[in-house]
Amino acid sequence: MKSSPIGLLVAVALGIFPAQSWAQAKAGKVTAAGKATAAKDSEGVIDADASGSAAAGGDAAAAAEGTPAAGDTPADAGEETGDSPAGSGLDDICKIDPAACPNLDMDKEAARPLKEQIFAVQQAYALRVRRFELQAGWSISMNDQFVGHPAPVLALNYYITNVLAVGVNGAYYAPFNVDQDFNSQVRRAARVAVPLTEYQWGAALNFTYVPAYGKFAGFGDFIFHYDAYVVGGVGALSVRPIPVIDPDNRNFEYEPKLAFNAGIGLRIFFNRWFAAVLEVRDYVFNDKLESLTVSRIPGPGPNGAGNPNTWYGETRLTNNVQAQFGAAIFLPFSFHYRLPK
Amino acid sequence: MTITKQKTIKRLVSVLAAALALFAFTERAEAQQILLTGPLAGAPAVRKLRLHGKGRFEVAPAVSFSLLDEYQRTIFAGARLQYHFTDWLSFGAWGAVGAAHIPTYLSDQIQEVNAARRTLDPNGVTLDRQLTAVNLGPDFTKQLGTMDWVVAPQLTAVPFRGKLALFQSIYLDTDLYFFAGPAIIGVTERKNCAGTTSDPCVNNFAMASRVAVAPTFGLGFNFFINKWSALGFEYRGMPMSWNTGGFDTAGGGQDKKFPDNKISNDDRQFHFNSVLTLSFNVYLPFQYKVSE
Repeated sequence: MKSSPIGLLVAVALGIFPAQSWAQAKAGKVTAAGKATAAKDSEGVIDADASGSAAAGGDAAAAAEGTPAAGDTPADAGEETGDSPAGSGLDDICKIDPAACPNLDMDKEAARPLKEQIFAVQQAYALRVRRFELQAGWSISMNDQFVGHPAPVLALNYYITNVLAVGVNGAYYAPFNVDQDFNSQVRRAARVAVPLTEYQWGAALNFTYVPAYGKFAGFGDFIFHYDAYVVGGVGALSVRPIPVIDPDNRNFEYEPKLAFNAGIGLRIFFNRWFAAVLEVRDYVFNDKLESLTVSRIPGPGPNGAGNPNTWYGETRLTNNVQAQFGAAIFLPFSFHYRLPK
Repeated sequence: MTITKQKTIKRLVSVLAAALALFAFTERAEAQQILLTGPLAGAPAVRKLRLHGKGRFEVAPAVSFSLLDEYQRTIFAGARLQYHFTDWLSFGAWGAVGAAHIPTYLSDQIQEVNAARRTLDPNGVTLDRQLTAVNLGPDFTKQLGTMDWVVAPQLTAVPFRGKLALFQSIYLDTDLYFFAGPAIIGVTERKNCAGTTSDPCVNNFAMASRVAVAPTFGLGFNFFINKWSALGFEYRGMPMSWNTGGFDTAGGGQDKKFPDNKISNDDRQFHFNSVLTLSFNVYLPFQYKVSE
């Protein structure tokens, strides 16, 4: 019993030493030519150059000589230099049994093409499964030359799988509708009024599918990852006509309309939880337009100009194509890969 | 040694062992953050990069669609010809002709109203007819401005190269490029008129062609199908002022913001003129180079 604490101490000390040999911190800088500067930490840096892989850095001569690519530092402590007993061991085998002597042309073997399995995209940069995505951005209308519908937008998605999410989004248009000058110019020049519609808010329940992902090398220097998704859903869009035919009498109230949406988007990841988002989505709804005719009967009577029943004209299926620019934050911030690839 | 001393030593050794154990675990945790250096440090971000552009000509038949048009949509048929000096820089030109001009719903509506007015009042004595006499001819769709052709020399930079996994089964090389240059545009629009007896604007809806020069710029994606071809998607802006509707909208009043019963250069309104292009790119020679 007396020696047990000492034995425990020795066991722990033995456990420490390998850990310390791993716990090497800073590495020496390597120049673009693949040359390593002297490692600042003389206690040994894990340096891939030390295994004679200089060819990767462009120093083929050093590799052929079996010397470290760095050249200016000795092999790190505890690491094989690659020129030791391998040759003598082979010689011994050849002396004992010439038939078993390896007869390989190393240059030929080195030149042989590798059949290694390479994944086009080695590992999805950012896993989405079981993570929330919070999107915030600004949306502008793409297909309405009469009234602009910019709006701040928010979206929250939950990824059930790595490629499928369910979520909600919302936009607030009310203070941002822009009645373009073009409308008044047409009214003045052609004496033709175009029914106009403004939006108040929109909200939808959506499903998102991510069929594509990839990566880009920027300026041949840095790499960023992206994915592309399709999104679709159903919700409501609160809209009302802008009175242009009879603005003296007509005063429309916002009404929510059933709206379906479908779109595509692109996410560019800056890290594993933060991305820029570009999305184009079409919201389709039945728009009740302002009536092009004005009742000649004044007042709010049954057919009077002041009766809201006389204010509305045809109902038209309307496409509101919105482009959204924004940012996405994935929560939780971190995740674990289940498989190495 | 007394029993008390033995206990003290045991306790000391146990505490020391526990402390060392904690130290050891800490070291292990830190030991996960190994910073590998060597050949990876300072190495290029991408090795064996397929240089789809470098030293190759690109011939890309393309069809383009105008966006956000007020009165008339244009479908362009054309091509892009380029030479790629490097994998990231090329010079060439995009050329196209306006193959189809399609009036918008608004134009149809205006013409419908216009035709009805003319039927009811062939002599033009009603207020509507008189107020629109300068602006609306017998057929509104015939007075609309059109882009007839475009030639745009351009410099293209390809800062981003990458790859795309589609359904985790189709893999494509891609690039994202930006371009800019001048656009020389053949425009047909309503001919200017002075509104005088000798050069009236009423019942005068003749058209005239001119050549406009505008900046053009945009961005696009290429998706490489094989060694010598790719599909391209491109957005282009060609901002300039032109009279798309043939209307008298400006030239009079304060800051010339009101009609003056003439058709002049003041009636040309600024438009961004957005165009979306789909192309099939062919690269010559057929074989690409590969980086180190």
